[in-house]
Amino acid sequence: MNLPQPSPPSRGPSFYEATARQRVNRLLDAQSFAEFLPPQSAHSSPHLALLDLPGALDDGVVIGSGTLGGKPVQIIAQEGQFLGGAVGEMHGAKIVGLLQRAIRDKPLAVLFLVDSGGVRLHEANAGLIALSEIMRAVLDTRAAGIPVFALIGGMCGAFGGMGIVSRLCSAILMSEQGRLALSGPEVIETVAGVEEFDSRDRALVWRVTGGKHRYLMGDCVALVEDDVEDFRQTIITLLAQWQENPPEPHALRAEQERLTQRCQQFSGMRDGLEVWAALGVPNPQQIPLLERDALVTLRQGLSL
Amino acid sequence: MPTSLPSSTWDTRRQRRQARLQRATQAGIGRHVPAERIKTLLETVIAPGDRVCLEGNNQKQADFLAQALSECDPQQLHHLHLVQSVLALPSHVDLFERGIASRLDFSFSGPQGGRLARLVQDRRIEIGAIHTYLELFGRYFVDLTPDVCLITAQSADAAGNLYTGPNTEDTPLIVEATAFKSGIVIAQVNERLEHLPRVDVPGDWVDYVVVAPRPNHIEPLFTRDPAQITEIQILMAMMTIKGIYAEYGITRLNHGIGFDTAAIELLLPTYATALGLKGKICTHWALNPHPTLIPAIESGFVQSVHSFGSEVGMDAYIAARSDVFFTGADGSMRSNRAFSQTAGLYACDLFIGSTLQIDLAGNSSTATLGRITGFGGAPNMGSDPHGRRHASPAWLKAGREAAGPQAIRGRKLVVQCVETFREHMTPVFVEQLDAWKMQESLGMALPPIMIYGDDVTHVVTEEGIANLLLCRTPEEREQAIRGVAGFTPVGLARDQAQVDQLRARGVIRRVDDLGIDPRLATRDLLAARSVKDLVRCSGGLYTPPSRFRNW
Repeated sequence: MNLPQPSPPSRGPSFYEATARQRVNRLLDAQSFAEFLPPQSAHSSPHLALLDLPGALDDGVVIGSGTLGGKPVQIIAQEGQFLGGAVGEMHGAKIVGLLQRAIRDKPLAVLFLVDSGGVRLHEANAGLIALSEIMRAVLDTRAAGIPVFALIGGMCGAFGGMGIVSRLCSAILMSEQGRLALSGPEVIETVAGVEEFDSRDRALVWRVTGGKHRYLMGDCVALVEDDVEDFRQTIITLLAQWQENPPEPHALRAEQERLTQRCQQFSGMRDGLEVWAALGVPNPQQIPLLERDALVTLRQGLSL
Repeated sequence: MPTSLPSSTWDTRRQRRQARLQRATQAGIGRHVPAERIKTLLETVIAPGDRVCLEGNNQKQADFLAQALSECDPQQLHHLHLVQSVLALPSHVDLFERGIASRLDFSFSGPQGGRLARLVQDRRIEIGAIHTYLELFGRYFVDLTPDVCLITAQSADAAGNLYTGPNTEDTPLIVEATAFKSGIVIAQVNERLEHLPRVDVPGDWVDYVVVAPRPNHIEPLFTRDPAQITEIQILMAMMTIKGIYAEYGITRLNHGIGFDTAAIELLLPTYATALGLKGKICTHWALNPHPTLIPAIESGFVQSVHSFGSEVGMDAYIAARSDVFFTGADGSMRSNRAFSQTAGLYACDLFIGSTLQIDLAGNSSTATLGRITGFGGAPNMGSDPHGRRHASPAWLKAGREAAGPQAIRGRKLVVQCVETFREHMTPVFVEQLDAWKMQESLGMALPPIMIYGDDVTHVVTEEGIANLLLCRTPEEREQAIRGVAGFTPVGLARDQAQVDQLRARGVIRRVDDLGIDPRLATRDLLAARSVKDLVRCSGGLYTPPSRFRNW
């Protein structure tokens, strides 16, 4: 049977809806992915087992190598549908191991498909240590001249420790559906009250943490469609021209200075709408409905 | 006991009404009531023992008036008899807890179901009956006519004319029953206007108008996020379209609320179109303006939709599609719950909905222990109207399947669409409905059954379709239901030989029997996969509430 294409918007397979394995297989060249520690090797969390909670044979993260546009890359993909992509000890060890192997194997880049709310609370300190090890491993990999790209467009976004990890990467690519921040909306509401942040106001959540906001703020290098193919093409283009600058103290200090100033510039603002107005966006309330291309054009017109 | 003489006065209700209006005038209250004097008005024109209708259903609510009434002095106002569609707001239940009201006739209680059940058990509330909407509306004109009604509208002018906006819903009906039996009509509005866009209720039917401090609450009850539709629901939607809609040629129908039916709506522009069904099924609807219907409307599938109420965010889209929706000269929709319920009952050939429990006779119920939730409108639409006379191919085919070629009447198709297990692995198919235990524990006249088994014609699950019209004995019916009940205890207890026989006769049909490739049942088949897709599909006319957005 010939099915007509779903009417207007739905393009290729959605990145947002895909599982970690679907993302990896569709992102890399067909048939090129070789998984390290696949589910068959059964590396699930010992902590969850102690708590009598169901584990996952891959502990919620897929790692391996493959090619992208014919070039060798290594890849990490968190599975947001398992415990919100949360980082536990085994999960973290797999990521760190992949990054260390990248330093040895020297792929062209490491692609880090982040989809995580941060640390896995069930594993407490083991999870926190895992996160700090991931941070160090990302910086080590970059110091070895291998770029690490964070791709954020899953249902869980990149929050908590994984928000920090994402910002330590060489660059971030986001879709509009992606979210990036430190404390998650529910955490802020729980700690500071609903007056501070209404986590159920989803439009507000996206105006403050979503891909469009991060793109306007310059926190991600590219805003891509929610389409695995668009992620693929964008990363291929980016890689072709990428010059990895390993982290240097003076550059980090300059960045720290820039962020401090940014904090002051937007201090007291409570909504992306206010920030966008301050950035000089003519009709901030139209931003949420703008298509990606229109937003990219709009940003080019801003003096950022 | 002395025999009472025939009364010589025949206008006691009118006199009583005049006296109450007089008292309000003496208290300095005219037609336009300042918000801060609303309690005084209520205490002046309502008397103990009155039948009061507080407007509200599962969509809009006269929430300011409900709050004010619940704060009145129980010394002055007590033993009120509430006659209203829905007991939905905390203030509605407060009325009983504070002793202002003591008796209730209603249809639906939704979120307050737990508190209501406790009040019944504590004997703080006396329930007359739990109705369907049409029954309650009917009784407004027979024996439950309100003495006072507290209604809600969008705007009023100086003369008290009311504009309801797209959420007309129950307002005209409540006002008609009250105003024409010498009752008192009090309206809360969101705004005063010099010129109304249109008049939905004439000012001389309205006694008092108050501008509420906050706009009336409207619940976006009919919005289903396509992102949450599962592949199982998509498969069941394919089975329903191919195995029921196409086979009977269903053009006039009503859909219940749920992800199952949302999936059907989103498959019309894709799967159903590919089957060549455009123009042959699903052309005329009694339906709230479901956002998930937008792609079907845009693709030209849908010709007409009459609605019970509106839906938050859909107003601009509806106004721009007046060929499809019922709209006033001003451009905005006029809905009407009573008329749409009538349409759903008598003018539609099919109702499809979901439920929480189904027993071996096909009876279904959404009642769960410790909660009185009531019925709303589903039983009106989910029932075969025995009084129907006009024929349609779908109605005739169903009638003849049930009673043979000599059938003297047709049958409405009443379809229950359920996954065999719902959340937390609770089986939907059960030997006995919880409704029976509820009847016992709450001393109800009847078990709260939502759809009677003898009205159900088809049960659709992920395991197949059971056509109950073709069953000839209660035993066959039971095995047909067991035969699609999957791995639930009810399904496992099937008589496999009988089930095989029923399948051979086409009473039970599996995905294979329907010629459906289950591998096609993916989310890629949905005409919209997210709320934002719906917005795009509407050309930006649909503006969903914040909670449904992720952009």
